[in-house]
Order: sequence, then structure tokens, then C-alpha cells
Amino acid sequence: MVEVTLEGVSKAYGTTDALVDVSLEIRDGEFFTLVGPSGCGKTTTLRLLAGFEEPTAGTIRFGGDDVAGVPPEDRDVGIVFQNYALFPTMTVAENVAYGLRFREPPGGGSTEDRVSELLDLVDLTGMGDRDPDALSGGQRQRVALARALAPGPSVLLLDEPMSALDARLRERLRVQVTEIQETLDITTVYVTHDQAEALAISDRVAVVNDGRIEQVADPETVYRQPATRFVAGFVGDNNLLDGEIVGRDPLTVAVDGQRLVLPAGVDAAVGDRVTVCLRPEALSVGGGPSRFEVEVEHVEFLGDAYRLHCTWQGRSLLVKSGSPASGTVTVGVEPGAIHVLDAAGD
Amino acid sequence: MVETGGGQLTRVGRRGREWLERHALAVVGALTAALLVVFFFYPVFTVLLEAVRTPMGWTGELFVALFRSEFYFGWFATLVTAPGTAVADAGAWLAALLADPIDAIPAVTPGTMGLFVFTAVQALLSTVASVVLGVPAAYILARYEFRGRETIRSLTALPFVMPSIVVAIGFVATFGRTGVLNEILVAVGVDRLGVMYTLELIVLAHAFYNAPLVARVTTAAWESVDASLVETARSLGARPQRSFVDVVAPQLVPAVLTGALLTFVFTFLTFPIVLTLGGFQLSTVEVWVYHEVQQLDYGEAAALAVLETVVSLGLTYAYLRYEAAQRRVQRAVRPRDRRRFRAATPLARVAIAGYAAVAAVVFLLPMGSMVLASLTDASGPTLAHYAFLVQRQTEAFAFQVQPFAAVLNSLLFAAGTLVLAVPMGVAVAVLSTRGGRGRRLLEAAAMAPFAVSGIVVGLGLLRGLVFGVSVAGHRLQVTGALAIVAAHAVAAYPFVTRNVSPMLARIDPQVVESARSLGASRIRALLHVELPLVVSGVVAGAAFAFAISMGEFDATVILATGGDYYTMPVAIERYTGRQLGPATAMGSILLGVTAVSFVVIDRVGGVFDRG
Repeated sequence: MVEVTLEGVSKAYGTTDALVDVSLEIRDGEFFTLVGPSGCGKTTTLRLLAGFEEPTAGTIRFGGDDVAGVPPEDRDVGIVFQNYALFPTMTVAENVAYGLRFREPPGGGSTEDRVSELLDLVDLTGMGDRDPDALSGGQRQRVALARALAPGPSVLLLDEPMSALDARLRERLRVQVTEIQETLDITTVYVTHDQAEALAISDRVAVVNDGRIEQVADPETVYRQPATRFVAGFVGDNNLLDGEIVGRDPLTVAVDGQRLVLPAGVDAAVGDRVTVCLRPEALSVGGGPSRFEVEVEHVEFLGDAYRLHCTWQGRSLLVKSGSPASGTVTVGVEPGAIHVLDAAGD
Repeated sequence: MVETGGGQLTRVGRRGREWLERHALAVVGALTAALLVVFFFYPVFTVLLEAVRTPMGWTGELFVALFRSEFYFGWFATLVTAPGTAVADAGAWLAALLADPIDAIPAVTPGTMGLFVFTAVQALLSTVASVVLGVPAAYILARYEFRGRETIRSLTALPFVMPSIVVAIGFVATFGRTGVLNEILVAVGVDRLGVMYTLELIVLAHAFYNAPLVARVTTAAWESVDASLVETARSLGARPQRSFVDVVAPQLVPAVLTGALLTFVFTFLTFPIVLTLGGFQLSTVEVWVYHEVQQLDYGEAAALAVLETVVSLGLTYAYLRYEAAQRRVQRAVRPRDRRRFRAATPLARVAIAGYAAVAAVVFLLPMGSMVLASLTDASGPTLAHYAFLVQRQTEAFAFQVQPFAAVLNSLLFAAGTLVLAVPMGVAVAVLSTRGGRGRRLLEAAAMAPFAVSGIVVGLGLLRGLVFGVSVAGHRLQVTGALAIVAAHAVAAYPFVTRNVSPMLARIDPQVVESARSLGASRIRALLHVELPLVVSGVVAGAAFAFAISMGEFDATVILATGGDYYTMPVAIERYTGRQLGPATAMGSILLGVTAVSFVVIDRVGGVFDRG
């Protein structure tokens, strides 16, 4: 296993920048996720790690060694693609055994033993003789995972591996993937556009936007303390309100005349322009010292809660609530549930 | 509403119309089936009958004679007639092969190996040449990015509409005694080359015709290899060459084999190219059938034609089985990047340039030479050859072919073919995609003309309807002109079907169901909703039909024998070797027709390949 570092890595295609000055430290054995909208550069990062592309600038290191110029076959990485990329002319077992044509099976056993060990690992015991065409989407993706893991790579790269699967299957496979990753303790880089998935499975998350890293942190931090306006808007539902600091002790912000008390420890001075993030679940009907009179426009039933689409002073505001509501209601927020973004800082 | 008096009649009329509307599909189907029976199945049946029936009664004698004839089967016939001698001969030959391998290889001619065996061997050699010439083209088209790539890629469909007589005359204009190649050689002071009437030239002409086909199917397979497959192989430890062998090659092999099998079928049935380029020494089964028809030896011609049809049907069946067994080529989700030509290694660039030079000689030179020869004579540039085509000749020519009549006949027959083939093709497409019971059978029966050579259809029409048939005491006879149109229509309508069927199949059935629920009868829904959606397919099919009629040679040359119904392709064959000028002028006109049809088909997104 190995840690992976990117130092000031940039990648340009002609005049378009796919990645700009990206630095990351992915720890040994970590499940690290790159999340962002499509075209943000996350897949480019993965391809640079796999050696399919070379960076225009910067250095990539595996365990301290610069891998510039090292071709994909010598990088010791396993990759799983969204479309499975199973070799259609080979059986399941031949697919899994393919990497063992070039590397000794880890642990010194035979190729056959290694293949059945991996098929067991991904719950496909005895399916080795099947044709890839005869498998379901979820099964194919598990074959692809087994194939990538068979030679015992030091880094596992997963490129949106679950996007082609339906929601229920995705959740099951996601649990399986994280369990396998924990068992093998293999450094894993996972690429997805699905922020909920990223939060669910990762040790740490890097939010990527427009070729740049917006924030690198554990999932809770990314959710509770987004570093930038983009992260706040991209990860989960959020209400973003622009205001101005109008008082100290307690620190108070005014949004269109509405005063909100901020948590202690926010570093801001009177007169600063800031953005306030209010998660829908932070707003509760009736509670909290800072209160809004909102108009409920529309109610969605989510199963475990209700999402109220409200308007407040001409803005739309999302409120998550345990019970449905209608007409004009008062919602409040505790200072501790408010996160403040420096308006100039993002 | 209903008027008295006339009401009764109106009601009958309305009921008739309603019946027709309900059963229109069946009526159209019956009409199409009747045309097919009269113009295709009955003629083929006539040939079969001719081969197994003599005035004395039923007999298999003609076939037995064929199999026992060394003229047709060479050593294999000896195996039937004198097994002992055959085995001894084989032993002697093996010994000779071990002593001096080069010397022991027999000359590939009908004389040394028998006509039937020669036909198969030249088809095999032509197939190898087509693969050797076609696969590098596929590599370049699939893996390199350069200006004109798209154009060249779509031009690989050209052989589907190019008459083989045009290829033949192009090769004569290039490699003939007074062809461009020899003129160049003389100009630089080298002796004339005698490559006419050689096997090599025939094989090269077949490669001209079939290599693009091999290139086309192989390119499609190559482009369908997803980038992630190769990348996965690389990340699992395979070097680039190894990933090609393990991942790319297994997906190419079926495509190359498909192309090769098709090429073998086409070149086994080859006719105008060998007739023109083969001379007296080299003839294939098709050429010999034609020869026997001219000698009025219909019995042996029929037996030979039946045998040939059995082989070609068998090969076609094998091809269809093989193709069906292959996985459907799916479009790559993420196609691999093509290399820029300029970024290629020097070695690759030299190799590609070398291939391009060979390709230019094989593909461009024949067509260029033909057009050049049509525009020049001994004294320099001239339009005389074209002028000659539009003159209404008053006195008959020595060899009885008036060019103007040929041009006029070609156009008239093509028009007649359109009238017959387009409705037939559309009807078969509708019935095979929309019809109920018996759909599969209809599909198979309707596609049979693909696998039966024009010679057989022509021979059957000649011996049956043209010579006259007695039906219930009446003598039924059609003119040669109608028979030619029928033969052309039979050859052309499958192309209409092939272009219309996939489009019909893609129409959302709910669109038709909406029309039906709004009150349209089945036939009205077809006319108002479905057919307008497949107009481009009908146009492509019509362009195909026109091009195929203009270029059709096999059936026409048989039906035109002794009559005045010769067309441009037939005239080209008769002029070849006597007057290169008019022959190349007609060839150039056919090339023009081919080009226009091709552009029309390409523009409306027509289907060239089987689909």
C-alpha cells in the first residue's frame, strides 16, 4: 500500500485547462473521493494517476517516487470504469486472471486460487465460467472490481463505478466496496458526481470544481463547514443568504433587515459582507432565537420528514420539518447550526 | 345521409373500400409474392428443371457427367472415375512437392485444375488479396486522424453501387496493351507489359472491388473497441502491443472473417471481371455458363448453374449463420483517440505513405485511366467518343452494337426497374416489419435474390417466359425487354427493402397506435404516418435500384443475346478489346451514375451494409 501525492499538478488540452495547480495528499490505505459536477476535472485526475495521461505541470508521487513517464502497465494500479470494460471475448475467470498474466499472484498461490479467492470476495463464487454478457450490471461491476484487485495493486482507482446501476443496487454495492476496501486496506481513489455517495463512503472528500480543488476534508466537515460557496451549494441542500455583520457580542448578521445571531468564534468584524449557510434541517418550525416569518408554498413528503418549499422576502427557502405545514409559519434557527462563509473568501 | 336508390350501390362501394382498407396489407403482400414467383422463383425453378429433365424423362445424368468430368473437377473427377489413378497421382505429386516445392505447385488455370476448382481457388486468392489490401486501410481509418478521413471512410461503400463491368473496363484501360501503364512504360523506354489475361490481374481487380468491403467492416469493428478496454488491459500490466493482441484483435477477427466470407461468395460468383480480363484461358463457372448459353447448350449450362447456386446458397447460409453468431457490434461508449498523422512515428508514416501509394495504383489509377482514355484518342484530347454515343447510327456496326441504342435501353430499363422495384421493396419492408404470421418465411424468401446469380435468373427467364410458356392452353410469352426489367427489379428490390426496413422498425409503435385510436385504418396509418417517416429510406433505395439497373450485367447479357436489348454494360463488354474509346466513355458515364447514386444514398443516410 502506498500514499499518493499530487504537487501543483496542472493539465491542459490545447488551450483548455482541465486541472489547475492541484495539490493533494492521499494517505496510505485511505478511501479518498473526488466529487464534483461533470467536466470538473475529477476524471482527468484519475487518468493522470493511472498513467493514461501525463500532467502538463507538477509532480505525482506514489510512495514518494515520481511516476512521471511510468506507463500504465508499470504503475501498479487497478482501475474500474463506469461501463465495466469487461473483455467481451473472455470468460469471467479469464477477465479476473488477466492481470496475473503479467504479475505473480500476491501471496504466492496459483492463478486459479487467486481468481476463486477474488470471486469469493465479490460474492461471485462459481461464476468463473460465465460469459460477461450473461451477467447483470451489478455482477459485471463486481467482476471488474475483482479483476482490478487480482494482481494486488497498491492503488485502486474507481471511475464512477456505480453510475450505470439502479439506486437500490448502488447502495448495496457501495457497502460491499467499502467493506472490501477496509479489509484490503488499499489506497483507493473514487470519482463520483454524486455528493451523497461521496459523503457516505469516504474517509476524506475533495470537492472539485472547474479544474480546482475547493475543499479537502472528512465528510462531516465538508457537510457542516463547507469552505466555499460552491461546496455549500453542491453538497446537500442549503439556504445561502448574503448579509452584513451589524453587531458584536453576540455577533449578529443582518440579511435584508432580518437579524441572525451567529455562533461564537466566527472571525468577522462589523461591516463585513458574509454569506450565511442554513441547512434546511437547521431551521425548525417555532424554535431558535432568530426567527423568520415564512410563507409555505409547497410541501414534499420524503418518508422520514417533510421538505417545505417556502418564500421569505422574495427568496426561496428550504425547511426540513417533522410535520407538514401550510400558510405563514415562523421558523427559527440556533446560532450553533449556522455556518458563515466569508463573502470575499470564495 | 344515405340517399335512396343510389344508396345500395354506395353501400356496396363503401363496403368494398372498407374491405380493401382492412386487407390492403394482405393484398399488397399477395401482389408482391406473385411478382416474385413469376420473375424469380419460377425462372430459377425452370433452370433446375432443365438440369434434371430431358425429353426422355427425369435424370441426374447431367450432374453425374459434371462430377466425372476432368474439365470441371480436374483431379477430383479422377477420384470418382479412377480412384486408383487419382491416389497414385496425389502420391506422385506429394513426392514432387517434397523434392521441389516451388516447381510442384500447379499453375492456377482451369486447364490444370478443372473449371470448378479453379473458380474456388481464384476466389480464395482474391479473398486473401482483398484482406491484405483491406485490413491496413481499416487500421489507418480507425486509428489515425487526417484530412479526408471521413470521406475515404464513406467511399469504402462505393463498391456496393459500382458495376463490376466498370471495374473491368478500368483495368483494361490501365493494364491493357494500349493502356495507361504501357503508355508510361513506352514513354520511359521500357517494353510493354503483357499483364492482360493473367490471374494476377483478375485477383487485383477483385481486390479493387472487395478490399473496401473488408476495410469497411473491419474499420467499424476497430472503432467499436472502447478506450476503457485497452486502458484496463494496460493498467493490469499489458504493454501496448500485448493489449492489442489480447483485447483489440479478438474483436477484429470476426469482422475480418465476415468480410472475407462475403468476398469469397462474391468472387466465386464473379462474371464480368473474368469475362473481360480472363481471355480464353481463364474462365470461371459463371463465364462458362454464359459460354454454353451462347453455344445453345442449355442443359449443361443449367446443370452447371444449379451446382453453382447450391454452392453460393451454402456459402451465403454459412455467412448468415456466422454473422448471427457474432455479438452485435456496439458503439464504443468512449471511442479511443485517433492519433494525429503528423504525430505518428517516422516508421509508421513511411508505412502509411507506402500503403497510400499502393492504394492509389489499385483504386485511383483504373478509374483515372478509364476517364482519361474516354477523353483522348491518338491525336490528343477529344470528345469524339462521347459524341459517338449520342449519334443515331444509320448503318449497323460490324458487331451489331449501336451505342445510342445501348444508352437509351439502359435509361428505359432503369426507369422500368424503379417502377417495379420501389413498390416491391417497400411492400416487403412493410410486411416483414409489420406483418403477422409467416413474417420470417417471407423475409427469407424475399432476400433469396441476394444469393442467386443474375446469370441463373437471366437463364431461367430466357428459357421460360421469353421463349414462351403454355398456361392452360394459352401460349404466354414476354419480350426480352420486360424480362430484363424483371431481372433488374428482382436484383434491385432487396436494396430498397434493406433501406426501408430498419427505419420502419425504429418507428415507435405508439405513434401508429395513436393514429389507429384516432380512427385511421391500418393502411391509412401506414400511408399518413409511417411512410412519410421513411421517405429518406425510399429515396436511398430508389437510388440503389437505379444504379443497380444501370450496371446490371449478368442477367442482361444473357437476355440480350441475339436481341436488340443490349444496355451500356453489355455494350462495354462487346466494345472491349476492339474500341477502347466508346467502351471507356460508357464506363465513365456509368461511373458518373454510380457517383450520383452514391452521393444521394450517402446524403439521405442510406444503409450500404447488411442491416
